Amino acid sequence: MIFQINFKSGMPIYLQLVDQIKAAAASGALRPGEALPSIRPLAEELRVNRNTVAKAYSELESLGVIETHPGRGCFLNETHSALRKEVRRKLLIEEIDQAIVQAHHLQVPRPEFLELIHERMDVLDSKRRANEDHKED
Amino acid sequence: MDSATPVIQIENLAYAYGRAEAVHDLSLKVQPGRCYGLFGRNGAGKTTTMKCLLNLLRPQRGQVRVFALDPARAEVAVKGRLAYVPDQVVFYPWMSVRETLDYLASFRERWNRKTEQELLERFRLDPAQRTDALSKGQGTQLALIAAICPETDLLVLDEPTSGLDPIVRREFIETVIGAYQEGNPGNRTIFVSTHLISEFEGLIDEFTIIDRGRVVVTLDSDQARERFQKIRARFAQSPPELDLKAALRVRREGRELELIVNGAGPELLERLRQHNPEALTTESLTMEEIFFATLKS
Repeated sequence: MIFQINFKSGMPIYLQLVDQIKAAAASGALRPGEALPSIRPLAEELRVNRNTVAKAYSELESLGVIETHPGRGCFLNETHSALRKEVRRKLLIEEIDQAIVQAHHLQVPRPEFLELIHERMDVLDSKRRANEDHKED
Repeated sequence: MDSATPVIQIENLAYAYGRAEAVHDLSLKVQPGRCYGLFGRNGAGKTTTMKCLLNLLRPQRGQVRVFALDPARAEVAVKGRLAYVPDQVVFYPWMSVRETLDYLASFRERWNRKTEQELLERFRLDPAQRTDALSKGQGTQLALIAAICPETDLLVLDEPTSGLDPIVRREFIETVIGAYQEGNPGNRTIFVSTHLISEFEGLIDEFTIIDRGRVVVTLDSDQARERFQKIRARFAQSPPELDLKAALRVRREGRELELIVNGAGPELLERLRQHNPEALTTESLTMEEIFFATLKS
């Protein structure tokens, strides 16, 4: 997978990596059991501190998104959420609340916001389907 | 992390060349495993500070400690645990690349031959080449190999990439991340001075900006990106009169406003929102923009 670091986003770099891997897992760009790039080549390629990539991977591991097999590398977990349901919901609620606050400030009314959510879910679904079709080829 | 013994500790350092004060009351602390940047314009006091760490200069006031040791009293112990790439690299001109590396290795307790070979290949350096026939970029690459092979706990880089072409600069940084950091993950410390800030942006954990020998600001990189923001607002009519004193800088252009803020972002955003802007965006400043913003204000 290809990562994109944005120094202007205000988000710590390790969290940008965490989010991109989670997004890749959700869209099917990264499939269960698939390997993540090793820390050293990824850090070199992005020209970010090696420890930043290591921090992102250990965060993903503690969230149950990836697994580390010593000597072999990191892999996307087969069931890529080992978290309990309440915890998962709580994490999601925080993100949703942020989006709602943002929608308010950008003067996007409720129906349009809800419509947008449906639209984005459809987009991600179709991406995932495209990836799965590709897998069967 | 803060409880660990700092790898570098500088307290109230002052140094003057005759009556020209190069460093004035400078203090900073570098924790193990961190990559620490010292940013400043030419003549800001970066090299003088570095030279005090390496006992190339003696502090006139204040003190420096490296691995909790005084570099002036324990020079061998300190230098055995660090490697240094200066801004101007000099080798014995009659030696070949091979002879130079062997000569430098003879002063070191450890020397990783495998890393040496990998880096010679990566940089396409010919071991038989005499050092006086190397280009500036190749000279820096040789100095970097000599700094990485001893596998020291601390790597000190003084303006390492200035005057090099963009490809060599990029390879240099990749090598520091890969060959150096990977050698002992999480435990290798880097102290780098530079005015080419954007190249090191992803590598730096913490930095100090100095100007005319004085500390302007010390920041953790993640916190810096959170605190320093550029806010842009566009209004339907010309921007209302607002109290924007909390901003570092304000630009007005027609119906648009651009603010540079340090920490006052949320408060100013709220004030702007009350006037129903047509558009309101924020982005973080890059380290280089923070450098400009703090030196101008």
